[in-house]
Amino acid sequence: MLKQITHRPTAIISWLMAFSLYFVLVFVSRADEVSIRKTVADATVAASPAEQRALISSLKLKPAAEAVTLFDRWKAGEIFLFKDDAGLTTPVLLTGTAAPDGSFATLRLENGSPLLAPDGSPVRINPKTVEAAETDSGLRKVMKEVSDLVSLADPDLTKRIRAIQDSAIGQKLEKLPALLALKATEKNQSALRALDESIAIIQLRSPISSERVAACTQLGQLKSLPAYDTIKTILTEAKKASDGPTVLAAKAALKAIDVHVSQINAAGTAFRGLSLGSVLLVVAIGLAITFGLMGIINMAHGEFIAVGAYTAYVIQNLFATGLKLSPFGVSLSLPGMDLGAKGANLYFVVAIPASFLVAALVGILLERSVIQHLYKRPLESLLATWGISLVMQQILKFTFGSNNVQVSSPAWLSGNWTVNDIVFGWNRVFVIGFAVLIILVTWLVLNKTSLGLLIRAVMQNRNMAACMGVRTERVNTLTFAFGCGLAGLAGAFLSQISNVGPSMGQLYIVDSFMTVVVGGVGNIMGTVISALGIGLADQSLQQYLGNPVIGKILVLGAIILFLQWRPAGLFVTRSRSLD
Amino acid sequence: MSQKPFLLAAEGLNKSFDGFKAINDLNFYLDEGELRTVIGPNGAGKTTFLDLITGRTQPDVGTLLWDDAKHDLLKLNEYEIYRLGIGRKFQTPTVYNDHTVTENLILSLAGSRGIWHSLFGKVTSLQRDRIAEILTTIKLSKHSNRKAGELAHGQKQWLEIGMLLAQEARLLLVDEPAAGMTDEETYRTGELLLSLAGKHTIVVIEHDMTFVRQISQGRKVTVLHQGHVLCEGPVDKVQADERVIEVYLGRKSKAA
Amino acid sequence: MIKQPLTGRLHTPLLLTLAVILVVVVPLLNAFGYISNFTLGNWGKYLCYGILAISIDLLWGYTGLLCLGQALFFTLGGYMMGMHLMRMIGGDGVPTFLSMVGRREWPSFFIPFSSFPFALLMIVFVPGLLAYVFGYLAFRSRIKGVYFSILTQALTYGAALLFFRNELLMGGNNGFTDFRMLLGYSLREDSTKRGLYIVTALLLVLVVAGCKWLTQSRFGLIQRAIRDSENRVLFSGYATANFKLFIFVISAVIASFAGALFVPQVGIINPSEMDTSKSLEAVVWVALGGRGTIIGPVIGAISVNALKSWASVGATADFWPLMLGGAFVLVVLFMPKGIIGLPAQIQGWIAKSRRAKSPEEPSPLSTPPEAIDP
Repeated sequence: MLKQITHRPTAIISWLMAFSLYFVLVFVSRADEVSIRKTVADATVAASPAEQRALISSLKLKPAAEAVTLFDRWKAGEIFLFKDDAGLTTPVLLTGTAAPDGSFATLRLENGSPLLAPDGSPVRINPKTVEAAETDSGLRKVMKEVSDLVSLADPDLTKRIRAIQDSAIGQKLEKLPALLALKATEKNQSALRALDESIAIIQLRSPISSERVAACTQLGQLKSLPAYDTIKTILTEAKKASDGPTVLAAKAALKAIDVHVSQINAAGTAFRGLSLGSVLLVVAIGLAITFGLMGIINMAHGEFIAVGAYTAYVIQNLFATGLKLSPFGVSLSLPGMDLGAKGANLYFVVAIPASFLVAALVGILLERSVIQHLYKRPLESLLATWGISLVMQQILKFTFGSNNVQVSSPAWLSGNWTVNDIVFGWNRVFVIGFAVLIILVTWLVLNKTSLGLLIRAVMQNRNMAACMGVRTERVNTLTFAFGCGLAGLAGAFLSQISNVGPSMGQLYIVDSFMTVVVGGVGNIMGTVISALGIGLADQSLQQYLGNPVIGKILVLGAIILFLQWRPAGLFVTRSRSLD
Repeated sequence: MSQKPFLLAAEGLNKSFDGFKAINDLNFYLDEGELRTVIGPNGAGKTTFLDLITGRTQPDVGTLLWDDAKHDLLKLNEYEIYRLGIGRKFQTPTVYNDHTVTENLILSLAGSRGIWHSLFGKVTSLQRDRIAEILTTIKLSKHSNRKAGELAHGQKQWLEIGMLLAQEARLLLVDEPAAGMTDEETYRTGELLLSLAGKHTIVVIEHDMTFVRQISQGRKVTVLHQGHVLCEGPVDKVQADERVIEVYLGRKSKAA
Repeated sequence: MIKQPLTGRLHTPLLLTLAVILVVVVPLLNAFGYISNFTLGNWGKYLCYGILAISIDLLWGYTGLLCLGQALFFTLGGYMMGMHLMRMIGGDGVPTFLSMVGRREWPSFFIPFSSFPFALLMIVFVPGLLAYVFGYLAFRSRIKGVYFSILTQALTYGAALLFFRNELLMGGNNGFTDFRMLLGYSLREDSTKRGLYIVTALLLVLVVAGCKWLTQSRFGLIQRAIRDSENRVLFSGYATANFKLFIFVISAVIASFAGALFVPQVGIINPSEMDTSKSLEAVVWVALGGRGTIIGPVIGAISVNALKSWASVGATADFWPLMLGGAFVLVVLFMPKGIIGLPAQIQGWIAKSRRAKSPEEPSPLSTPPEAIDP
């Protein structure tokens, strides 16, 4: 790449300039360490604007953050021009606090030492009476050029890359030397890539056709997204100017970027699909237990999710300033622990087990009071639990109000992580991680604990298990509570990524049932695969059609057709039993 | 083997459930008008065999041909197989519990099975006579207006046989008709089956050897073991067979 | 045991008297001012709901298919009628729901709805076809029980998503409203409202009679046999899928007619009616009234909705969902046969307590049914 660029004339000139700049920079900075303040100070009192610009311009040779700070103070009118009795003007900065007469102590701009009167006493000035140094637009432009160079040399990588990317805006050829100079010293790969990109974008404006072609090729190779629109403009212009080679190169570059974009989109879709699938999985896994293993159609599943979410809400407030509730007109005040910011970051750790436990307790209550009478009557369990879901929604409304409540999520969830132009939002990464965790927990409970053994035994053959001395009633209760607890976990999880309200569970109920049915009832692995499959299908269709609702409808249709092919879902739990 | 064509011919049937071979290379031939008894220890695949014939289960490999190979049963579903004249009495009595005895028989009457007929078809007086006749045969005349669910276990068994009669099935597949019956009821069930022999082809699956002796009367008995035909022949010959004694009768005689 | 459900003893004369009261007496009382227009309007709605409830019971009570898509068929019928009513508004230009999405012209599929017979045809055809296609697919692959419920729920959900879209040109989430004329009569006239009530009552009577006939035919026997033991019916040579498909389409069309009559009486139709919770609410009426009977669902629909009209205003409004949900749980747990079955249930309790006094008497119940259905 270097060779491609260097053998072109303007590039050679640029390189020469860059090198000279580099050497000058090294020597000058050694020669005069403190001269930045001095140069600025001189500039403030320079005789003419041209002289001012020349002085400031000279700072380009040694771009330093200090200069930018001084410029800022200058522009803000904080540099005062103190004229002593001898008529000598000294630029000063104010320091300390105002005296009763409104005067401040002063520091010399050129070296930061206190300005002393001939008698050795410190000079105090009143900013209202002393003239401040001013700037004009020409000067400010030069200052900006210096600041740009300073940011290019910023030791902070993110800021430096930002500056490199910004330097391509406007495609000013005069910015090339600085960029090329930086390229010679830059070590960081990301910064180098940004440099190549910015240099090539600017070179698209090069007067020399072969250089433009090279820039296009370069950008195509870099699969540069920011260059896309610029290349398009270049293409139009080149077509007008019948510049054949540029047209070809631009087209090739656009095509390369297009391919890249579609790859990014595909990867992004896959990632979003994975995270949507994880959400489905988390909300459906509890149902896979209650419906899949026990055959209970729990229409109140969504309300258990809401119970979990509200638990997270309550915990959050207990960690903060407390909570005032008025369930059924009874006012109830829960004191908070006032943990401040620490609480805001930590409460979720407590909310996860709490939401599981609260939902599981409500589940035990429900199983003992209603569900236990409805085993083997699945349709009626559907109806009764729907009644329960109405009641639970209303109780939540009475307790927490009908509006959504605020559950804050830790700040880090809003960040993201970019790899090869693909953006991975932390919240989605969290979603996937949480799903993995929940599956792991479920798998461990079902396969590695004695409760799991009992659950599997009872679900496979209730009568046989009872004969073997298993207290099936208790296992039923615990299984149902486990399923509800998982729904509660899902609620704590959803509280981090979506709204928390009394009817929030209704949004997920159809999806949850679809996921379990498609996966094959009684099979946790099936639920996992079907959740991911539905998530991916949904996101791909959405990407392809550009319409979330139609995509969702198509997915529902596809599920119905899928069940034509496999009425029992993906994984049929086979047994010798003929029923 | 007789020269006339088989009513039912099963060849090379195999069916496994999760690796368990319920039916293993089974060959079975049935003549028109036969009364065949099938015996075998638990898990020998008797009920699974009936499931294969009636279309309830599909075999992994094998052929099942009906009526001189005019029909391939494997290509038909349950109700199409039924309509060929293959009726089945299930092991546990399976009647419509919420329907009266008469209604159970009406639902089983031979004739159109279409929706139109079900809406507008009337029960003819001929059919009423037929139902009365069957009720007498199965000794349920007094209970004709009771719900089937209220009947005693043995009565349900008979009702189910009555439903096969109403169907005018060519082949009756009778799965353990004597299960849960008193000795007297068992004997009467045997009489009933014997009276039907000749008019219908009958396959009886049974455990109770007294009952098997009663109905086989020198007719062919098939012994199934591990999904395979172990031997076939008159009951005396079968009971004398070393292998049969080992796998089945031996245990049975010890228990008795 | 109950020999005959109560309906069996509600003799035809009693039913006929009720029919005359609903169809003739109530409108007459309204015409002479003894029943307010408001009350009559409410009763018109209740009767529509009664018809919807019967359609659910035909599937659930008689065939064992708990369909959570009846609200969809009801709403589709309503939309078909709504399309006709929109065309009848008259005036220049197009209604707002079209101009809002930039349409200057009526979409072509709206044009034939100017004809009332065409609208009638569509009220039968659209839900009927949807039920046919969906039912064909579902029953062919032997989807039943709760799977059927869940899939019909998903179907309704999908349809509601679709109808909420403005691009469908069916009014988006506002639906259709501001109806004016039906068959040349102004919908604002009291006489038109009375007429609509009479038509609804007549339809209800017709549906009751038709369903009574249907369920007492051999078809009814097969229906209930499918409910109790579908596999056994297959092994009796009936193609159960066809029977289920037939009754599914019939009940979809019945629900559709109920919806079509509902819309001109309430003056609005929008996709919020197409919610699965609406289907479930209608299932509550059936369960409360008594499933597996024809009159039970009507009683359930009228009583629940009358209660709702009374309870869901004012101070008790917030408690209505609690009452509805709680009632549902109680009915499922303690009143499996609903209001209609209550007298028999009480008789049963009395008989049981008598038996408890003479413990020697054996239970007439035979061994529990060992069905071959899974």
